[in-house]
Amino acid sequence: MLIYQVKCIYTCHPFYTVTMSRFVYTFIRCCIAAVMGLCLSLPLTAGVTISKDPDTALIGWKLNQGGFELELIQRLPDQTRAFFLARGFSPKVANDIALACVFQGIGRNTLKASEANSISVDLREWQLTSKGKNHSIKQKEQWEAEWSEADVATSSRLAYRWATFPTQQTYEPVGDYNWGMISFNLPPGTRFDVLVRWTLNGKPQQAWVRDVACAKDIHPEPQ
Amino acid sequence: MKKTLCHFISCWLLITASYGAADSSLTRLKEIVAAPDFSLQDMDGNQHSLKDFRGKVVIINFWATWCPPCRAELPSMNRGWAKIKDQGIVMLAVNVGEDEYTIFSFQGDYPIDFPVLLDLKGEVINDWPILGLPTTFVVDKQGKLVYRAVGGREWDSDVLLNKIRALAK
Repeated sequence: MLIYQVKCIYTCHPFYTVTMSRFVYTFIRCCIAAVMGLCLSLPLTAGVTISKDPDTALIGWKLNQGGFELELIQRLPDQTRAFFLARGFSPKVANDIALACVFQGIGRNTLKASEANSISVDLREWQLTSKGKNHSIKQKEQWEAEWSEADVATSSRLAYRWATFPTQQTYEPVGDYNWGMISFNLPPGTRFDVLVRWTLNGKPQQAWVRDVACAKDIHPEPQ
Repeated sequence: MKKTLCHFISCWLLITASYGAADSSLTRLKEIVAAPDFSLQDMDGNQHSLKDFRGKVVIINFWATWCPPCRAELPSMNRGWAKIKDQGIVMLAVNVGEDEYTIFSFQGDYPIDFPVLLDLKGEVINDWPILGLPTTFVVDKQGKLVYRAVGGREWDSDVLLNKIRALAK
């Protein structure tokens, strides 16, 4: 068998030499490379990144951790007002929703297909804090319970129901994702932290997204 | 040193690929149940019932014009339809809550060559196991729900279509 004489450069004395087979030598090198690769890849796949849309100047926060990707993108109150007015909501109700810190939420399972890779989200378990106080997301069911038939017609409720982020959702690891509006129920311009909770194959996971900002209620005029 | 660098790059690519790239395919449902039947009008006023398609594989997409991922996947659905329309497979797009005038003007930008059905009151979608739009199901020749896709897909991908073609054989 081919025997290598190798200087043990990683941890040992520089002049200490060991003998090992070619197989063991290659195996150790692969292990070191794998550990280095893992260390380098972790910062790229975990944590939160912030981006600003060059056209609208709206800010987005993207959490990517353990195969769950969540984007929270600011919506101007005027955008939300316009959306709901166009779907038959009264100006009062459209304004109430618009001023409730609405974000466009995008949830996605980025894991490879396997039975053990289902991700489930329940918005009722997320925790909000702002200025030292706890808050909670206003779910679609809570909004709908406030509206009478006179306030919001059936067709408008339908648009609301399907345009908002599901309170509970499961994403399978075959590219499942969805979009929807989330009401953080805070005044425009408020900054807050949100503890995002989800389960991976039934096991609880969580991550903070810090210093998120509700869009201000501005009315930019054409230049 | 070069070999170690090569090992390092290979391992890094392997690790990041396994985290970053999700399979874009269909979920096979664990519990195979009968698809809820429906009877809906299309854009021309023709009535379509799911049971009329028994013996064929049916792809049913639930969507709305205001839904960004729905708009993103519709062109690929139209291309996918061109590939499979002669292979014993039916494709239906069930619009949720919008009238034919809204959909007609939308189709000026997003042509849809397969039937668009109108679930005006959202009654049909409530009978199906759907939490968000778009959601697409594949119903087998016996009328059972076999596959589901939550969110948009590239429907002209042969990898994805071959799963559906296999049901039609």
